[in-house]
Amino acid sequence: MYHVDPPPVAKKLRELFYCAHMLHSHIAHFYALAAPDFVVGPTADPAKRNILGLIDKVGLAVGGEVIKHRAYAQDIQAVIGGKATHPVCGLPGGMSKAITEEERQDFEEKAKSLVEFSKFGLKLFDDLVLANKEYLDLITGDIYTMKSYYMGMVDANNKVNFYEGDIRVVDSDGKETAKFKPDDYLEYIAEHTEPWSYLKFPFLKKVGWKGLVEGKDSGVYRVNSLARLNVADGMATPLAQAEHDRMYETLGGKPVHATLAFHWARLIEIVYAAERLLELCQDKEITDPNVRTIPTATPDEGIGVIEAPRGTLIHHYQTDENGIVTKVNLIVATAQNNPAMNMSVKKAAQGLIKKGQEATEGLLNMVEMAFRAYDPCMACATHTLPGQMPLEVVIYNSKGEVVQRLSRNVC
Amino acid sequence: MKTLVLGLGNPILSDDGVGIRVAEELEGKVDPQEVTVMETSMAGLDLLNILADYDRAIIIDAIQTVGGQAGDIYQLEPGALDSTQHAASPHDVNFATALELGRRLGLPLPQKIVIFAIEVADASTFSEKCTPEVRGAIPGCVEMIIQELDGGNAA
Repeated sequence: MYHVDPPPVAKKLRELFYCAHMLHSHIAHFYALAAPDFVVGPTADPAKRNILGLIDKVGLAVGGEVIKHRAYAQDIQAVIGGKATHPVCGLPGGMSKAITEEERQDFEEKAKSLVEFSKFGLKLFDDLVLANKEYLDLITGDIYTMKSYYMGMVDANNKVNFYEGDIRVVDSDGKETAKFKPDDYLEYIAEHTEPWSYLKFPFLKKVGWKGLVEGKDSGVYRVNSLARLNVADGMATPLAQAEHDRMYETLGGKPVHATLAFHWARLIEIVYAAERLLELCQDKEITDPNVRTIPTATPDEGIGVIEAPRGTLIHHYQTDENGIVTKVNLIVATAQNNPAMNMSVKKAAQGLIKKGQEATEGLLNMVEMAFRAYDPCMACATHTLPGQMPLEVVIYNSKGEVVQRLSRNVC
Repeated sequence: MKTLVLGLGNPILSDDGVGIRVAEELEGKVDPQEVTVMETSMAGLDLLNILADYDRAIIIDAIQTVGGQAGDIYQLEPGALDSTQHAASPHDVNFATALELGRRLGLPLPQKIVIFAIEVADASTFSEKCTPEVRGAIPGCVEMIIQELDGGNAA
């Protein structure tokens, strides 16, 4: 929108920062929010099914490693961005400052450690989840499976890329049905609305909105980790590529429709983000002080797309003749997964709640697991900030009478 | 004794940023040799790294309670937050869980933590200013923290 291209080092610094951000987000989601479901148990007492219960099971050392490596990712973001949360480094035409050789060396050591930590995450997943047939059956079972389209960003070689590239869409057989530049997003994505929700329902425009239904005739698509791996031909770094191959061999090839495999894909993305972080830290150009091309034109219109931790994120801005923003369109990852999340929760609830069987807190969590796999950010998607996630399950009989009501954090 | 005063919140979300505003007011009113004053928008697990290596911490944050009056100030111990210990936020664990994790991991966390929480009126509108009731509570909260610091030092 400013008609200026940032210098190469600015793009590399942005990607480096972004890899650290991806690591920080994915590590928190897996270890604090997802792993307790598997390691402590999907129906375990909620008082134990958290990161404290996790370290009770796997040992204090794991907790220490999680805290340490999240802090590494946070430190890198803080140095580049001025502060880790709400960074102030991104400017039109580049970055606010360069990094020093001393900072680069520090980042490199942290990146090396993050690569080792990423391998450890997959080992933990192997030992505690995949080695347990009950969990593997849960991941591949029908109640957590949904056939949909997938969307994500790929580089020139069709490998997963978080920062820059084309948007690729595959159908439920894994066949490419679209590949487009970010600027063309409005030709491919439209948004449906429902009177019962103020969160929109994005869908693939060329397929059309057919309601909350699965399959190739329905424009429902998914984004986030598993979607990114499903649309790509592979990963751009060696360890991540090997882990990518292993996941698809285990789960029967591309595309994988198992919603709980979003967690596995997230762990593979942790490997990729760590490896790519290390590559960028070792790039000879990364300390180049030429981090900005000063824009001179009046901004008019711009579209930016990246892969946020939770999926494809689209920003579109238009300005008046003075460069003042007049129109903004944001399509955030969680909104794009909104149709699929509704369907996944319904399928899990229908598969788990049996006639005459009392619904328990454990069951509530197993329904919630279908939702948690998407790592949703409802605050981003709905612009409401309750600070906690209200959840309610209401079970009706065939006469429409309430049989049981389970709720948590509902005002 | 190494003391940290930490203001929490989101400075562009009206009253949610009140912890940060209090910390900003406090700077210049305390001896920087004895007391470190910081502001952050971080939460959950990330706070462990900030709190590490201090003997005492005073945390200032926004709070919403049932029936609370905007501008009310509560002085709390971390134990008061135990009832929310397992209600994790969508992307992170809450403060009580993070603190318990840090203690179990043997991190050098402050022996004493005091929380000053200010009842807010609006923590969801984008604004860099607090609402008048909450803004009016800032000087009183600053005074309470100074008293707490003096009391703590005397002890």
